[in-house]
Amino acid sequence: METAQQGGFSFDLCKRNEFFAAKGVQHPGFTKTGTTIAGLIFKDGVVLGADTRSTAGSTVADKNCEKIHFIAPNIYCCGAGTAADTENVTGMVASQLELHRYATGTQSRVVTAMTLLKGHLFKYQGHVSAALVLGGVDFRGPHLFTVYPHGSTDSLPFATMGSGSLNAMAVFEAGFKDDMSREEAMALVARAIRSGVMNDLGSGSNVDLCIITKDGVEYLRNHEYLQTKTYERQFPQKFASGSVPVVRERVYDIRRAVQVVEGEPMEMEVS
Amino acid sequence: MGTTIMAASYDGGVVMGADSRTSTGSYVANRVTDKITPLTDRVYICRSGSAADTQNLSRYVQWFLEQHGMELGDDPEVKTAAKLAQTMAYQNKNLLQASGGLAGLIVAGWDKHHGGSVFAIPLGGTLVKVPFSIGGSGSAYINGLCDRLWRPNMSEEECKAFVVKAVSHAMARDGSSGGCIRTVVISKDGIKRSFIPGDEVPVAAGELPPPVRQVRA
Amino acid sequence: MSIFEYNGSAIVAMAGKECVAIGSDLRFGVQLQTLATDYKKVYKIHDQLFIGLAGLGTDAETLSQRFAFKHNLYKLREERDIKPSAFGQLVSATLYERRFGPYFCQPVIAGLEPDGSPYLCGMDSIGAQETAKDFMVAGTATDSLLGICESLWRPDLGPEELFETLSQALLSGQDRDCLAGWGAVVYVITKDKVIARTLKGRMD
Repeated sequence: METAQQGGFSFDLCKRNEFFAAKGVQHPGFTKTGTTIAGLIFKDGVVLGADTRSTAGSTVADKNCEKIHFIAPNIYCCGAGTAADTENVTGMVASQLELHRYATGTQSRVVTAMTLLKGHLFKYQGHVSAALVLGGVDFRGPHLFTVYPHGSTDSLPFATMGSGSLNAMAVFEAGFKDDMSREEAMALVARAIRSGVMNDLGSGSNVDLCIITKDGVEYLRNHEYLQTKTYERQFPQKFASGSVPVVRERVYDIRRAVQVVEGEPMEMEVS
Repeated sequence: MGTTIMAASYDGGVVMGADSRTSTGSYVANRVTDKITPLTDRVYICRSGSAADTQNLSRYVQWFLEQHGMELGDDPEVKTAAKLAQTMAYQNKNLLQASGGLAGLIVAGWDKHHGGSVFAIPLGGTLVKVPFSIGGSGSAYINGLCDRLWRPNMSEEECKAFVVKAVSHAMARDGSSGGCIRTVVISKDGIKRSFIPGDEVPVAAGELPPPVRQVRA
Repeated sequence: MSIFEYNGSAIVAMAGKECVAIGSDLRFGVQLQTLATDYKKVYKIHDQLFIGLAGLGTDAETLSQRFAFKHNLYKLREERDIKPSAFGQLVSATLYERRFGPYFCQPVIAGLEPDGSPYLCGMDSIGAQETAKDFMVAGTATDSLLGICESLWRPDLGPEELFETLSQALLSGQDRDCLAGWGAVVYVITKDKVIARTLKGRMD
């Protein structure tokens, strides 16, 4: 019987899975984002960047996934590590901040997001493996943080994470300047991500960018599309009906017998 | 976090110093880290060991001291802060890499009852009041130097020069310490932070001539 | 051995023009021994929403029952069928709840949204969602299925063409997997009907 849960993790299968492991059965690998993510602070705000490859072992699981996650209208976060963890940890913080905004009626601060993230990750002592680059603009100005899976954080003017972080950092160290213009900053972040895409096997496909300023957010999905197929088929394969042997066929009619139509609101006399 | 941290007391207060390198394996993850973290307005802590553990430990101590300060209606004493940090480190030493391994914390600051004081919280989570303390992997290289140079009743300037000299020597020899030098001076007049960029850190391991630029004919 | 290779499975879902299709092989085995050849790995949630569960058989059955249960509760509360995209979130949350003691299952969800657009999504065993607009695969035949799907899938396939394309991919993909096979079942979901077809495949 299912009992209502109050949230949090459930550990009821751990014993069983340990038993499997003792029998010599391997635990599965999870989908990872072997990743290049990066961010920097420029004159008017923050630019975040990410590649779009997710991997399961050596297989490319997703060629165009989204690694820049929404945290608040003025805060976004790039995630590397186990895909499920980055997705859920950012989602949890986003919802906590939304409730906090309803309660206080004020804009979320980047440090609040950072503190919530590090608190959660520290609590799980690195077992929730999310490596994040958190960026945003609040009333104190632009902020950029890196958050490590064990719950440590750094505040930096430019930051990179993931398996391609060394490639991206090399580009930043060579090209970073204080108070860059928006265009310069976008070009540098895109170049950093591109160096990860091209030189790191865990990173690949396209470049996503997210530019946050005090005036708003510009989320450029697939800012650079590097993955056009080089082998598009000239004559698309078409299969005629009956190309596979069908043993049995059943057709279910699922047209609704009853249709629900939205009603018009009635006029009401107010006097 | 391979580190060099230190704190030394002088006549009117304390000087704290640290390098700025955070490394994961052999990669420098942050070259401008601030390892000198405030606990209250007049008490700071130098962190070495696991960055995650020490950052979060400091957060808890900050929180407790803020509550304590409100109840007290006054600034907490340095020894209170040190005792709190020690308790957290000792009670969680099975979980924390900070106090289990070659790492430790240094709490230092100024209060109106005792003036400037330095507390070391080494290895297993003991608490010792000391005139000066060094910590982190880099400290192994400067024990002798510090024993030779430290003396009681220094002036603020002398003490700060001593800290910078010691840290720069440790950074020169220790591979996991480096970057720039951050110092914090705490006295009855408040705190003074300063920062020596990486290319202005005093040369410690022998006076090397500046590199000569090759000009091709 | 990986726990995902204990029973074996091949699951494919593809999106077409205002239609989706999802299919699985029919083998049920314990490692290399085949025990049944009529074991579907695709479960119906409602008329326009199906979920395929690859991986450990016992967990697939438990999960299919939990999802049926959760959908029943949803219907009681909301008096409507769940949207595929909302169901995707529900599956993801159910799996992530067991982050540190997972079900050994990789789901593939296929359905039609209320506006008639196709919805496809896949996940790893702890609920990392991956939404695709072309196709999703799961199971022990993943490696061979990915390649052929990449090659055969085209945008805007009609229900019949979609069926043929998916079936070709599924049958040829599972021929290269010892742990999946023995025919297949394919469901094509359109606005007003669901066509379920059982396919003949190699019996070895």
